[in-house]
Amino acid sequence: MTSRLMFRVLAALVAFTVLARIPVGFDVGFKFDSALAVIWAFGLLSLVLLTGYVGQISLCQATFAGVGAYATGLMVAGFHTDYLVAVGVGVAAAFTLGVIVGIPALRLRGITLAIVTLGIALVFDRYVFQDHAFEWFTGGTAGWRVDRATMFGLQMDSSKHLMSAYIVLLALFCVVALLMVNLHDSGAGRRLRAIRDSELSAATMGVNLTRYKLLAFGMSAAIAGLGGSFYPLVAGSVSPQPFWLFTSLQFAAIAVLMGVRYVPAAALGGVFMAVVPDVLTRFGHGTFMGHAYEISYDWFQIAVGVLLIVQLIALPDGVWGDLRARVRHARSAAGAIGGRKVKVA
Amino acid sequence: MTMLRVRDMTVRFGGIVALDGVSLDLNRGEILGMIGPNGAGKTTLFNCISGVIRPDHGSILFETNDLTYAPPHRRAQLGIARTFQNLQLWGSMTVQENLMVPMDALGRRNTFSDALYLPFSAYAERASSERARAILHVLDLGRYARTLAGDLPAGIQRRVEIARALAMRPKLLLLDEPAAGLDAQETAHLAELLHAVRERFHVSMLLVDHDMSLVMRVCDFVYVLDFGKLLARGRPAAIRNDPKVVAAYLGEESKKLTGDVMTVAAARKEEPPLLEVDRLAAGYGGLEVIRDVTLSVRPGEVVACIGANGAGKTTTLRAISGMIHPRAGHVVFAGRDVTGSPAERITKLGLVHIPEGRGLFPTISVEDTLRLVSNSAGHEVDIAPAFQLFPRLRERRRQLVGTLSGGEQQMVALARAILSEPRLVMIDEMSQGLAPTVVRQLFEIVRVFREQGIAVLLVEQFVESALDVADRAYVFEHGTIALSGPAVELRSDRTLVTGSYLGTAADASTIAAANGNGHHIDPALMEVMSVRVPAKVKRALEQRAENEGRPAGAVVVELLGKVDDQ
Amino acid sequence: MGAFAAYTIIGLGLGGIFSLAALGIVLIYRTTGVLNFAHGAMGMFSTFVAWQVFYGWSHPFWPTWLATLLAVLAGLIFAAVMGLFLEFAVFRWVRTREPVVKAVITIGVLLALQSAASLIWKNNQYHLPIYLAPQQATFQLAGVPIGANYIVIVIMALGLAFGLGAFLRYTSFGRSMRAVSDSPTSASLWGVPVNKVSAVSWMLGSLVAALAGILITPFINFDTTSLTLLIIDALAAALIGGLVSLPLTVLGGFLLGLLETYPTIWIQSLGFPRLVALLVIIAVLIMRNPRGFAVASK
Repeated sequence: MTSRLMFRVLAALVAFTVLARIPVGFDVGFKFDSALAVIWAFGLLSLVLLTGYVGQISLCQATFAGVGAYATGLMVAGFHTDYLVAVGVGVAAAFTLGVIVGIPALRLRGITLAIVTLGIALVFDRYVFQDHAFEWFTGGTAGWRVDRATMFGLQMDSSKHLMSAYIVLLALFCVVALLMVNLHDSGAGRRLRAIRDSELSAATMGVNLTRYKLLAFGMSAAIAGLGGSFYPLVAGSVSPQPFWLFTSLQFAAIAVLMGVRYVPAAALGGVFMAVVPDVLTRFGHGTFMGHAYEISYDWFQIAVGVLLIVQLIALPDGVWGDLRARVRHARSAAGAIGGRKVKVA
Repeated sequence: MTMLRVRDMTVRFGGIVALDGVSLDLNRGEILGMIGPNGAGKTTLFNCISGVIRPDHGSILFETNDLTYAPPHRRAQLGIARTFQNLQLWGSMTVQENLMVPMDALGRRNTFSDALYLPFSAYAERASSERARAILHVLDLGRYARTLAGDLPAGIQRRVEIARALAMRPKLLLLDEPAAGLDAQETAHLAELLHAVRERFHVSMLLVDHDMSLVMRVCDFVYVLDFGKLLARGRPAAIRNDPKVVAAYLGEESKKLTGDVMTVAAARKEEPPLLEVDRLAAGYGGLEVIRDVTLSVRPGEVVACIGANGAGKTTTLRAISGMIHPRAGHVVFAGRDVTGSPAERITKLGLVHIPEGRGLFPTISVEDTLRLVSNSAGHEVDIAPAFQLFPRLRERRRQLVGTLSGGEQQMVALARAILSEPRLVMIDEMSQGLAPTVVRQLFEIVRVFREQGIAVLLVEQFVESALDVADRAYVFEHGTIALSGPAVELRSDRTLVTGSYLGTAADASTIAAANGNGHHIDPALMEVMSVRVPAKVKRALEQRAENEGRPAGAVVVELLGKVDDQ
Repeated sequence: MGAFAAYTIIGLGLGGIFSLAALGIVLIYRTTGVLNFAHGAMGMFSTFVAWQVFYGWSHPFWPTWLATLLAVLAGLIFAAVMGLFLEFAVFRWVRTREPVVKAVITIGVLLALQSAASLIWKNNQYHLPIYLAPQQATFQLAGVPIGANYIVIVIMALGLAFGLGAFLRYTSFGRSMRAVSDSPTSASLWGVPVNKVSAVSWMLGSLVAALAGILITPFINFDTTSLTLLIIDALAAALIGGLVSLPLTVLGGFLLGLLETYPTIWIQSLGFPRLVALLVIIAVLIMRNPRGFAVASK
């Protein structure tokens, strides 16, 4: 074990310990937000892999999460399996869909890939998740209800056991995030990044494009699906709304906004995506100087749109990337190491 | 022994036949040159061999494997590496990482073991980085190991491309215009390097380049392509004198200029200058590339800017034409101070700037492109004169500019310059990537400009041709002007023409000013890389290096000697 | 046979809608190099402005034609201003960036416009559309009644396709627009006033989006999302035209309209047509790029 790996493991442990304690003492609503934040963070992390590392655009990450959620709901509510088994099935379903979506991506890139994935998100949003032809999978208009589930043989109740669900999710997130950071600097990570920078030379230098692109899509979908498959446990039921097209667009927007190349940015984005709108709707009403006002969810999405525009113009590497560069710059200036550019991680 | 056997290769793009039944044989240990006019199909053939495009017809046999339909990575595994004409490094990765990708893409490493950082991966990681560093050291690129590849100047990137290809331990190396953008001395070093690589790495090579000095110096055998067909093949000396090749590609030696030009230049000396640049400074981001550049161009005069790569010639032109904002100094054109004016306004005053890459619009037809001249002229322009000057463009008037060959594109750029009736034309690297015949034609056009009383400011890598046509010249060094004078005097300065004087820019400590000289060869380390090292030995070596406190490279040499003896 | 003819006519009407929506996307792509995912949202917002004038602010004593005229004018003027504003505030600053960055920035525009509209006009409400031709006016064709508004759409789509196509192709300003979209830096070296040209491009694109929005709303659920989401069908049509050819785009729109209508003979589903559109997109993209992976396409 190298010192670098030790440091990363330690950082993940510290992050886990600190984050696990934050929702304690807050009300159920905030505990729900915390769990949701991790679920969304998985969605953003999947984009760090797919867009940040491999350079493939995807506007259908919420679809992958949704497939994970529905498959899990089907297993738990339809077949009454243990929740962990259901999560396994959910992740596998998402992985499979990811690989299938990856097939056209073998030929496409950039804008054209964005169009295709947008189409996929729309098809799932308007057709698969809502049409009666797929009721066996979606549980009909009511969706699957997951009030009670067993996990490790223990009874989990969606409203009472939010905290334990949060801890499990957080632990999984820390592990996956750690693996992602490791992957970045490893041989496989370099191959993936080589595809991002120039597919042409990656292929001619021995990188098997078919394999790595499909793998990247599959792994990315699996990560999004892993988050999504905990959604039924946290929310108590599955419905199309959380996984519709606009969530996919928000994933893309927030991932880019926070810094699509950086793993910690995904965690930051998850918190932003789950907590800010809730805080807005909860505390964003009242009277100000005699006028009643109300800040609705729409304001959040407007803010996301505007922030994304500002970020793309002013901070091309995202919020996290910019902060990182500033810290490094300050440090290197102080240590007089020199103005050399630092490599990304 | 034949290593690569290409038979009857045919490729069509839409209605255009890019390759028409080309066959080629390459023997082990041979350096094969391929030359031909732009658009003759050389790069297409490269793309077929490396698997980037699929031929419509024909076959490729490498050693005993039929590669005709194999995917690119399979060819890489079998030992075919290539470099790219339009650099394709992985820009956001460090130079060392660039070298490590092909190394471990060919090894047996697993994504999951990498993500878990299992001991196997950790070990392989150290081995690759050690070897990458060794190769960089050999090619004298060691100091760039931790620099992002995208931040390097083009000359260095070209060498990193070769290093990256060698990191694959290839049996066959395909080099697509490795000398593009290198000056005379750099090209000489490149030739030396290629010879050394062949000796030490036992690599066969297929080389495409327009620089005949390189092709003649390194190649054992030369193939000439024209219009997708094989025009000739033979030893370099025979090819040089083959009448068909001379007609299609090399062209006749141009006549040296006579004294009348000198008198014209002398007569114009009295007129006030058309362009005056006074202590100009400019750069990109945090980097100042030029400073204190002072030069002038008088009406109807041809002025050449020469100097090593990265000496600031291109940046100077950009700052003059308004493509970038000057940081200090003044630009006065036709009596008006245009410092920092937008490019479109400067253009309207009668200054045409043809930038590197020609600055054309790929999805617009030739005809419509030329009609765009009305924007700077301020009225509808008759485009017929352009077609009289370049009959070839008339044939292609409806074709999109992006589908033209490099030479034809440069013709469009020059035709535009003539149509807009400018007072000054600035041309950046007019001859880059073009066949010798085309280059000659283009220099003829520069003479036409002069005859029409249009001043020309020329940035050119081919120092000799530039000085032939120019009245005066400025020599750039380290971002400023080191020397200036009449072209005739500079031409007689042999050190300047052969490039040894220009080579001094290599001493510059900043990356931007470095020009990529000095391919020093370290035979011992070359040896290390040419042998496949068993994992067992590597492990022992690392142990030893650690115990003895020596660099691993030194131990490798020692240990490998023993392994080879066994 | 009668049913088939009816479906054909319905499909062609739907095709007119897609064509109209797609034309603006192709126009903006060709003149600015931006693939505008927010095209539907831009049209939606301007249409709501027109709606506001027609249903909210018009005086009850105005004759309908006057109210309609004022509403459409207000929508178009707003669209022009919005196009200019977007160019000044957003797209001017990313002109030399990669196409992907520009496309992602339009997603930001989409999200902001979408939510702003839903904030102002509420999302769940059913809004009455504006009819340019009288709603009841119909023609009989092969026994199928066709609304006059459909005919307006089809005529408008064809007119815009050929009109704009000719404008881009034969006028000096059109050439300048194409030059700026290919390379703004080179265009300025050729003396093209880049800022002016791209401002006009965005204004024009926004106008076409608004016009399409106003014409289309009678035929779809007029709320804040459906026009925005029409983007995927529009993109499919635009891709058939290769994002370049305006007449081919209209043809693609009609083709897609038919392809989406015929299956409804057997399959009753609101979502199924989206699958058709997606398959068309994938098929077109793969066919356009037949030779392995694209060589350094940027």
